[in-house]
Amino acid sequence: MNLFYKIITFKPSFGLRIVSGLVGIVLCLATCGIVGLTDMVAAQLKTNDDAFEGRLIEAGARVYFEQCARCHGLQGKGNDGAAPAISSVAFLGAKTPPTPSQRLKDIGWSGSIESYIEAVTASGIPIKSSQVWEQNHPPFAQRFGGPLRDDQIKNVTKFVANWKQKPYTDGVIEAPKPGAGSGPQPTPIPLGPKENAGLEVFKGAGGCTACHAIRGIATGAVGPTMNKIAATAEKRVTQADYKAAGGKATDVASYLRESIVSPNTYIVPDCPQGACASGVMTQNLQQTLKPEELENLIAYLMTLR
Amino acid sequence: MAIIGQKLVNQIRETGLKATVAQRTDDAFTRFTAGLTWDDVRGILRGDPPAKPNPRVKPHTEGFWFHIRPTFYHEAVTTLYPTFRLGYLSALFFLIETITGMFLMIFYTPSPERAFANMIDILTNVPFGSFMRDLHRLGAEVMVVVVTLHMWRTFITASYKKPRQFTWFTGVVLLIVTMFLSFSGYLLPWDQLAFWAVTIGTSMADAAPLVGREVNLLLRGAPDIGAGGLLRFYLFHVLLFPAIGLVFLGVHYYKVVRWGLSLPPEMEAIGEDTARKVDQTKRVMFMPDILTNEIMYAAVATAILAVASATFYNAPLETHSNPQVTPLHTVAPWYFYWLQGLIKIPHILPLGESLSFINKPVDEVFALVGLTPKMLWGIIVPPIIIVLLFAIPYIDPNPSRRYKDRKVALSLAVIFELLILYLSLGGIATGVPGTGFGYVGGNPVVEVAQEFIPDEGESEVKAIPFDQLIVGKYPLANDPAIDDHKAPKFREIVRAIYADMEHRKHVADPLGKKMPEEAEGDVTVRLLQEDLKEFVITIRYIDENQAPQTFSKNAYIHKNSDYH
Repeated sequence: MNLFYKIITFKPSFGLRIVSGLVGIVLCLATCGIVGLTDMVAAQLKTNDDAFEGRLIEAGARVYFEQCARCHGLQGKGNDGAAPAISSVAFLGAKTPPTPSQRLKDIGWSGSIESYIEAVTASGIPIKSSQVWEQNHPPFAQRFGGPLRDDQIKNVTKFVANWKQKPYTDGVIEAPKPGAGSGPQPTPIPLGPKENAGLEVFKGAGGCTACHAIRGIATGAVGPTMNKIAATAEKRVTQADYKAAGGKATDVASYLRESIVSPNTYIVPDCPQGACASGVMTQNLQQTLKPEELENLIAYLMTLR
Repeated sequence: MAIIGQKLVNQIRETGLKATVAQRTDDAFTRFTAGLTWDDVRGILRGDPPAKPNPRVKPHTEGFWFHIRPTFYHEAVTTLYPTFRLGYLSALFFLIETITGMFLMIFYTPSPERAFANMIDILTNVPFGSFMRDLHRLGAEVMVVVVTLHMWRTFITASYKKPRQFTWFTGVVLLIVTMFLSFSGYLLPWDQLAFWAVTIGTSMADAAPLVGREVNLLLRGAPDIGAGGLLRFYLFHVLLFPAIGLVFLGVHYYKVVRWGLSLPPEMEAIGEDTARKVDQTKRVMFMPDILTNEIMYAAVATAILAVASATFYNAPLETHSNPQVTPLHTVAPWYFYWLQGLIKIPHILPLGESLSFINKPVDEVFALVGLTPKMLWGIIVPPIIIVLLFAIPYIDPNPSRRYKDRKVALSLAVIFELLILYLSLGGIATGVPGTGFGYVGGNPVVEVAQEFIPDEGESEVKAIPFDQLIVGKYPLANDPAIDDHKAPKFREIVRAIYADMEHRKHVADPLGKKMPEEAEGDVTVRLLQEDLKEFVITIRYIDENQAPQTFSKNAYIHKNSDYH
């Protein structure tokens, strides 16, 4: 109780005021001095700068894998029929040994590679360039009708340019091969009305083109290519690992149906960007497609041999 | 010119150059201090007794700055109790916020395209930038505390009673201004924290009947917060609220001069106010006693704030605002937790199953007149609380300021404070640790990943040193295949993720949800670029429909990003 009374009736003496006031003022000035020294002399600002540069590259990576990897590939090496490499020496140039970017030379861009990446990402390429890719680079900036804010464009630019430290030379796709679309050419079979309707489902209601490639028709690069799916299916239904995974199909049609309505039953080993993963394919096609659409789609896929 | 020059020349001739300079300097100094000579000021700082007649009253009567400070205090209010210097400290923090705020204004543009980049600039390219931002942010939080405590002190010592009713009224305005200043500043960094806290805050206005949509539109400048909203909040923050604050601060201070500082309750007869009728022997002159005291408090408080800002305190900056992605577990600033708790009230009222029948009919009755629970608790109740605060001095019928006569008022205050505390705790999205009170978490599988790779804010995974992240795939286990010498921190985190997953299998969360028993998972580290890695937590489980599910969440980690 005595202590409590002492605290609430506390009143500093003049001596204490002068001492603690001076200590306070000196502490304030010293803190400012130390902050100034660490910021300017000990290069704290440089450390902060590097840290935020790193964090912005991290943010750019997220944008890249959400928006760009689908066409340019997980390692930026490009996808046949979809998009060229952007992590290659020819595109980025290299730091050691100093190599200029061949791409900038080819198109006569006088700015830096960063400014080129940012410009193309933002506005897209407005005309067909001489290398005939299936589609032009679309605009990604919101101000040009795309999905990304300007800060996201800047961050993804930082991420792509960061490959410059160790750009790839092997396995990169710089130009499309004739008849773009990965894998072997399917044998052309004339389509009847049912199969034609199925092709329309593939390109439209099914949304299949976003992930699957068929040479000359679609360039999706997430799921396995459909070029010779009917021939593949014929072999697969007899495979032991397919049966072990619980696959019940016995012929091409039932295999295709099973793969569409229950995509997780069997996961094929080879997707364009490495091993295929469970749960990536649309799970509810049985609900979203009408029964006759499903039938037509299967009929169409059965022609791909 | 000639005449002035002549006078100066004459003075130098008569008294010599040295004496003339001394006399003229002292003269200029005295004008500046509105009546104090250099010797007077030294005497004040040393605490010397005043000369007669006392020259130290002059600044109060003739100067601007001291005319809103009393000439003397009663000696009973110069000790720590009853004021605790809280009002003075509030004004001091207002000043600190103004100065640091002006510094930050130099480097800031209120535009969605520039604001976040400006924040990074302040932290990476402006000397003292990070320090000033920390000072400004920490100062703002402390100011909310100090102003609130000041109000509590005033209520407890009953200093709001006659004749200081209007002083209290202006004080409540200043409290609201402080809250709004703090909240409007929240949006300016334009990061996720800013964007979503203010989106939630302004969305409360949406629930207001009739004018809700319009009020929201006025605040945000558009249906959603964007360029218009940011500019408006900026102008509120740097012009409107400071201007209102300054006006009411002036009135508040003037009222203190007019009525004096209220004495400790037990020193006066009931119903009387003797703060201005102080016996000569009880007077403590403002100069030197109060002034030196205040300089000391200012120096010490500023030093504590500066040292805290320069050492452990770091103002948060999350990632760039993204209207498309709401981070999990978004919360209001802590001083508005009670408001968030208020909106959650149907879920946090301690009514067991047996009593829950009370809740439903109440909501139904309100629904009859077109009121939703959000409207009631978010729009109607908070203004009632504010109106009650304003009205306290006018509706309190008790003339006595003595503690023993104010049992009802003080008990009500304690109950009110407990309620605020209860609501505040209920407003924490992830629940009160240990009790889970107020918990709103989702799927335990998602919560495990959120625990280690939160959508925003500090992440244990991101704090793992870059070199320790050894590329590979590691099944979650108590003894993961990670070298303890090469990567101790990495190993520790993988073990912690496993432990957290196992814990959630056995212990249900406060909503009764458990991690599926057979859930298992792994951690994958990939090298994406020379200095960039990806850390993925994958958990596989069987959901309630017996369907196999895979959940994964990743973090990108750059060598330099320095999250620890």
